[in-house]
Parts: sequence; structure tokens; C-alpha cells
Amino acid sequence: MSDPLSKAATAAEIARTVLGGKVTAAAVIDAALTRIAAAEPTINAFTDIVAERAKQRAAEVDAGKHRGPLAGVPFAVKNLFDIEGLPTRAGSKINVDGPKAARDGALVRKLEAAGAILVGGLNMGEYAYDFTGENAHYGPSRNPRDTTRMTGGSSGGSGAAVAAGEVPLALGSDTNGSIRVPSSLCGLFGLKPTYGRLSRAGSFPFVDAFDHLGPIARSTEDLALAFDAMQGADPDDPVCTHLPPEPTLPHLGEGIGGLRIAIAGDYFARGGEPEAFEAVATVAKALGASETVVLPQAAAARAAAYVITAIEGGQLHLPRLRARPQDFDPDTRERFMAGALLPGAWYVKAQRFRRHYRVNVLKIFDEADIVLAPATPCTAPKLGQVMMKLGGVDIPVRANLGLFTQPISFIGLPVVVAPLQRPGGLPIGVQIIAKPFNEQAALRVAAFLEKQGVAAAPPA
Amino acid sequence: MADDKPDVARLVDEAAKALGLPIAEEYCANVILNYERSLMIARPLLEVELDDELIPGPVFRP
Repeated sequence: MSDPLSKAATAAEIARTVLGGKVTAAAVIDAALTRIAAAEPTINAFTDIVAERAKQRAAEVDAGKHRGPLAGVPFAVKNLFDIEGLPTRAGSKINVDGPKAARDGALVRKLEAAGAILVGGLNMGEYAYDFTGENAHYGPSRNPRDTTRMTGGSSGGSGAAVAAGEVPLALGSDTNGSIRVPSSLCGLFGLKPTYGRLSRAGSFPFVDAFDHLGPIARSTEDLALAFDAMQGADPDDPVCTHLPPEPTLPHLGEGIGGLRIAIAGDYFARGGEPEAFEAVATVAKALGASETVVLPQAAAARAAAYVITAIEGGQLHLPRLRARPQDFDPDTRERFMAGALLPGAWYVKAQRFRRHYRVNVLKIFDEADIVLAPATPCTAPKLGQVMMKLGGVDIPVRANLGLFTQPISFIGLPVVVAPLQRPGGLPIGVQIIAKPFNEQAALRVAAFLEKQGVAAAPPA
Repeated sequence: MADDKPDVARLVDEAAKALGLPIAEEYCANVILNYERSLMIARPLLEVELDDELIPGPVFRP
């Protein structure tokens, strides 16, 4: 068990000690704020720190309020989540001139109702159109494993803050891979739940068709704790499910008995560096998985996800592209402009194809409960790196870090990223993919890998 | 079939006018580059044939 005041402490360990009266929430928050102050000049994960609010909330926890399963746990959120009294930056300069949030986003409220304590807002790629974690306005978040390298994005600050031990838990968003890519490059556990499982109310949108919110943490137990606290219907998000919450924490230790686990072949077995496929092989071996399945037309799915993203994103930002183009990050501006001009026929075809692909991929889950795939095609690229060589071919970094995540989020499947630490090398993650609303199975597999010592967060 | 390739610079220029999106000269080259990249990335989708009966749901439910 880690010292609850140390950067190695998990959310579960902190909550247990706070609820057990062995440490105060005030001491936990003070320690977190001290760590953040020390790390930020290097890591640049935070854009906003709400120290006074956090101290007030900690005092309330210590006075007997909000003593839920996350009591006293410091957490931070990608700055596209509404934080009462602050403008919702969404990684932009433009939004800072907009209205201040009247109240916290739905998931912030749910985590705080469970006892967790918000300490700040986190850096991200502008308007979430990003896989790198770089940002022209606020600087890049830096990968704590090697600060000359990318965190991955767009939830780059979320990955950096957790990997650096500033907070044990962060929330991110994932439209095409923005939780899974930083989880992989920073070596953390990340959960992209089923599309519609968690409310997106009170968060700045990117692509309604694919936007998901979820946690990044140092353990599967923390993912499950946070996920369970955030479940539940929400009329403020029309996509949010009416299915009753399905707690995952009670099942986390059940192991992998009864789960049929397969490996994604074809598209997911090429186009990456050897370490991406070695990671999948290592995980498959630990799970006793040898069957390969093919997600049919995955390349077309990735293309369709790209088209829907470009067109929805371009359309969303059209008023700002007209009025304040000079205030965009140069790395997003012209992509949004090009997206706004793409043919409407492509969009409709991509949406029709989405249904077709969903039907065919769901057939795979008649024969397998879990499918394994690489999370990223490579380990963390260098900051500022524009091109990378994959499979001997030079391709742009920005468009391709999500090569293996896009065909999965395209149809909203739940995914847990399990991180593999590579001695002497950089970490890389594996996607543990389940059928819709079966987050529990993916979390069980990740917990099994963690228990076996195959998957782990980096040493704090 | 080189003749079938669209003139992307002109396409971007005309589409931007139709949409009422002024694109400053210094941004044009990159918008064109990204449009060309989109043409390439979209190709696997555009090659798929779908039945007429296949319609997207108004609200996507996985």
C-alpha cells in the first residue's frame, strides 16, 4: 500500500485511508497541490488550478460530507469539461473570451458527489482535433516518461498529469482515440466507455456522432471506481443511455474464466511498429488467446470516421473560422477549414456505412467476448515531430496515431487500454475491446493482466 | 485517368465562396493540402458499395 500522500497512491488507496480516518482530505489535497506546483514547469499538464475550491471541498469531506467511495481523491479534467466560474477552453484561445461556466459538467458533479475533489483543468489539443497533445496557445503537455516526447492527445494533459503522479485520476474525452492514445503513450490505464454510456452534458463538443468521456488512471480499480460513480441516465445528453447503471467494481477480481478472447488480425496486424504487435502478442499469451478475428472493412471504417469527424468538426467551428481564423491553432485551423468544405454526400455515405459496419462487427461478438488490438502504432514520437515511418512508409504523425483506435470508436465499442512497460523503452498500450455496454468484461481482463504483472502503470 | 483528378485549388476556392468562408491567402496552401489528404483517406469509404435499403439511424445506438 502506497503512502496516501505520495504520487504513487491510487485513488482507491487514498479513499480507503480517508474513510478510515488515517489521513485527512485536506492533507491529501495539500500534497497534490504541492506535487502539481513542483511538476508543472516541466510537465505542463494543467491550464487551470482551482486550489481554493479544492481546499474548501476537502474541508467539507473532513467535516463528514461527500464521504463516498472516492472520498478525498484529487482529480482533474480535460479543459473541455465545464468548471463553474471558468471559461471552458477546450484547448482554444477563442473560448477564453466566451461565457464562464454556470456550473460543473455532469461527470465532475458525479465524481464530486462520490467524494472526489477537483483540483483543476487540463491541457489538450485545440478543440480535441488532435492525437499529439501539442497546443500552440498553451504549449505541449510533456510525456513524464521522456519530456522530449509527446503525451499523445487530445487528452494530453490528462495523460501527463496522471503519469507524473500529480493526480491519481483524470477525465478525458475520446472521439477517435483521445483517451486511448495518451493512455498508450504515457503508459496508463484508460477507459473509453460505450458510446452513450456516460453523460456528456457540460462538456464542449467536437463530433457528436463519436464523442465519449471517460477516465485515465494508474490502476483498473481506479477506472472502475470512477466509471461506476459516473454511470447513470442524464436527460441533458440526448445520447446518454437509459439502461440502468451496471457496477463493474464488484466483478473486477473475477478473472477471465468464461471469457472468449480473440486477437484482431488483418488491418490491426499491419501498419505499425513491431513493438505495437509485440505488446498484443504478450497480452494474448498471458490471456491464453490464440484465435484471430477480422473486423471486416476496418480501413473503410477508419475512412468513414475521418470523414464524419472532418465534416462535423468543420461545421461546428464555421462561425469561429469565419470570424477569428487568426486565433486558431495553426495545426487545427486549416484542417477544420478543409473539413467544412467536404461534400455532404461523403457524410451521408459514412453514416450509412457506419450501420453496415456495426452489424458485421457485432457478429464477431457472437464468438468472442473480447478482441485485442494495438492502441497506437508506435511509442511516443518526439515533440514537434511531423512525419513518422511506419512499416517502412513515411506518414504524418498527426493523422495516424489513431489508426487503430478510429475503427473501434466509430461504432462506439467500449475499450480499456492496458499499458505495457517496456524495460529500457517507452510504454505502449493494448486495446481490450468488448461488445456494447460490456465494460465489465474489458475491465476484468485488464485487472487480470494487472494482477499477473503484465500490465502496469509506470513507477511513480 | 489524370484528367479525372479534381482541381482541388479551384474546388476549395469555389466551395469556400459558396459556404461564405473567407480563406486568407496564407492559409490556402494548407487547406488545399488537407483537402487532398481527405480525398486520399476517404477513398476506402468511397469504394464501398451499399444497398439502397441501408439507412443510418437518426440517433446512433451501439
